[in-house]
Amino acid sequence: MPGLGLSAGITLTMLSIVVLLPIGALLMQGAQFGLANIWDTVHRERVWAALFLSFRMALFAALFNLVFGVLLAWVLVRYRFPGRRIIDAAVDLPFALPTAVAGIALTALYAPNGVFGSLAQQIGWKIAYTQWGIFLALVFVGLPFVTRTVQPVIEEIDPEVEEASATLGASRSHTLRHVILPMLTPAALTGFALALARAVGEYGSVIFIAGNIPLRTEIAPLLIVIQLEEFNYDAAGAIGIAMLLMSFAMLLVINLIQIFSRKRIGHV
Amino acid sequence: MSDNRFADLTLPTRAARSFSVAALAMAGLLTLAHDASAQSLLNVSYDPTRELYREVNEAFAAKWQADGHDAPDIETSHGGSGSQARAVIDGLDAQVVTLALASDIDKIAETGKLPEDWQSKLPHNSSPYTSTIVFLVREGNPKGLNDWGDLLKDGVEVITPNPKTSGGARWNYLAAWAWAERNGQDPQDFVGQLYRHVPVLDTGARGATTTFAQRGIGDVLLAWENEAYLALEEIGEDQFDIVVPSVSVLAEPPVALVEGNIADEDQRELATAYVDFLYSPEGQALAYKHFYRAWDDSAADPEDVARFPDLELVGIDHFGGWKKAQPEHFGDGGIFDQIYTNADTASK
Repeated sequence: MPGLGLSAGITLTMLSIVVLLPIGALLMQGAQFGLANIWDTVHRERVWAALFLSFRMALFAALFNLVFGVLLAWVLVRYRFPGRRIIDAAVDLPFALPTAVAGIALTALYAPNGVFGSLAQQIGWKIAYTQWGIFLALVFVGLPFVTRTVQPVIEEIDPEVEEASATLGASRSHTLRHVILPMLTPAALTGFALALARAVGEYGSVIFIAGNIPLRTEIAPLLIVIQLEEFNYDAAGAIGIAMLLMSFAMLLVINLIQIFSRKRIGHV
Repeated sequence: MSDNRFADLTLPTRAARSFSVAALAMAGLLTLAHDASAQSLLNVSYDPTRELYREVNEAFAAKWQADGHDAPDIETSHGGSGSQARAVIDGLDAQVVTLALASDIDKIAETGKLPEDWQSKLPHNSSPYTSTIVFLVREGNPKGLNDWGDLLKDGVEVITPNPKTSGGARWNYLAAWAWAERNGQDPQDFVGQLYRHVPVLDTGARGATTTFAQRGIGDVLLAWENEAYLALEEIGEDQFDIVVPSVSVLAEPPVALVEGNIADEDQRELATAYVDFLYSPEGQALAYKHFYRAWDDSAADPEDVARFPDLELVGIDHFGGWKKAQPEHFGDGGIFDQIYTNADTASK
């Protein structure tokens, strides 16, 4: 294949510099620290609480984005209405906005003296500075991933497929469950995995809205920052490695589900 | 990045060659970005000194030129004190550091970039200005918060950043500790109860000020005195009052020359003059103007000096110095960490 040498060289170099070397350095740090020490660092109530919170909130937010993101993509592709293009462009905003700005804006809106926060306060619902705030920030940063991965797939689905299904006597919900959703599943799962991975490590926006109370609203990336503030690179690396392993396990499961679903419904 | 490091990789040879070409290009880019000049100076500082050093840099540059030198190129970077120290440790080429805590500069000294006894090189523990911790309360002080003990009243919400991530917040914590000691209370218990009144732990001092002032959370903000006055000036004197407690801390944000980063004699002269300027009457006047308690008020506006009320100030020496206080109170599993882990076991 002509050009393989050059292109492989450039891509491998870039990949090494920006991805592989930093992760390698993290693992090296961990290797020097030792497995037993890593376990001791992670196996503490406060660290588990933070890890559990980060992964749980990321999962909830990604599930929400899975449903809402597919719905949004469907509406944007299938319907024509005024302002559609503006909404379509707005979906990308969470990609473009610095996360700190998003966090501060969300906090301003949902704090007890904010526009929505004061309304929620009246029914006794606190959003900012609780786990709801974390959920909200993670939904915000993860939303475009699902919508943008599913959108091109929906564009490919010919409305005639639905019509064919209807002429063969399928009800609308039957068509949705057995014709449309199977075609969307692989892309939606990819989007879900991206949104999840993004949310697990999110720091900038969450930190402003979370309240950061240990054991309640303290996310794992903040614990890493705290360890760094103490110049404790080893412990920071240990928590980082724990997060890396957990993320890896999750992405593995999602990929297995994807392979399984591809096999079940055949080629899409 | 040398070629032989990649020699073991089982890439096709052509790929390996282009690999090293790309690596060379990368290395070239990196060297281009680095062009040092002797008449430049980088001051790495912490967050709330932005306004102060903007004026100091201007005044010093004018004085330096008036003394017959070329115009110096002085830059200041700001951020959390700990992360700024880390940047210098990791190789940020700062000739002067002006941080919130001596312990952060100690950490830099451990790398050998400055002598271990750096703090004795300049007057007043190398602190050209000091500050203390005061209360910022809502206008009229509706909850009647006049001293540390009042903060534990039912329903009082206290805003302070996390001492694990904020240098200033460590002073807040120590000030509360010192008050409890002087008023016959168990300091560990008092501080533990105090943090149970904290609904939001921001990561930095500015974040906490925003939570209190803009979001309307909490009844009292524990703040640097200079930040409190700045908040009054920026946000409005009709919204907040400053309350000075009976006991607080003498916070000494120290300055130092980073010997290891000084390129040559010219730069040393510039850096030394810069630090000395902070101690000159003119530099001290600027510190007063920006709400710091300085030492020499001979050139300062009397109004800037008069606004500081007297109170009992406890220095870090009382806690055995940062080398002892840092791990004991704020280290991993230290007294601050125990506040939350104990609170949790109690609630179970």
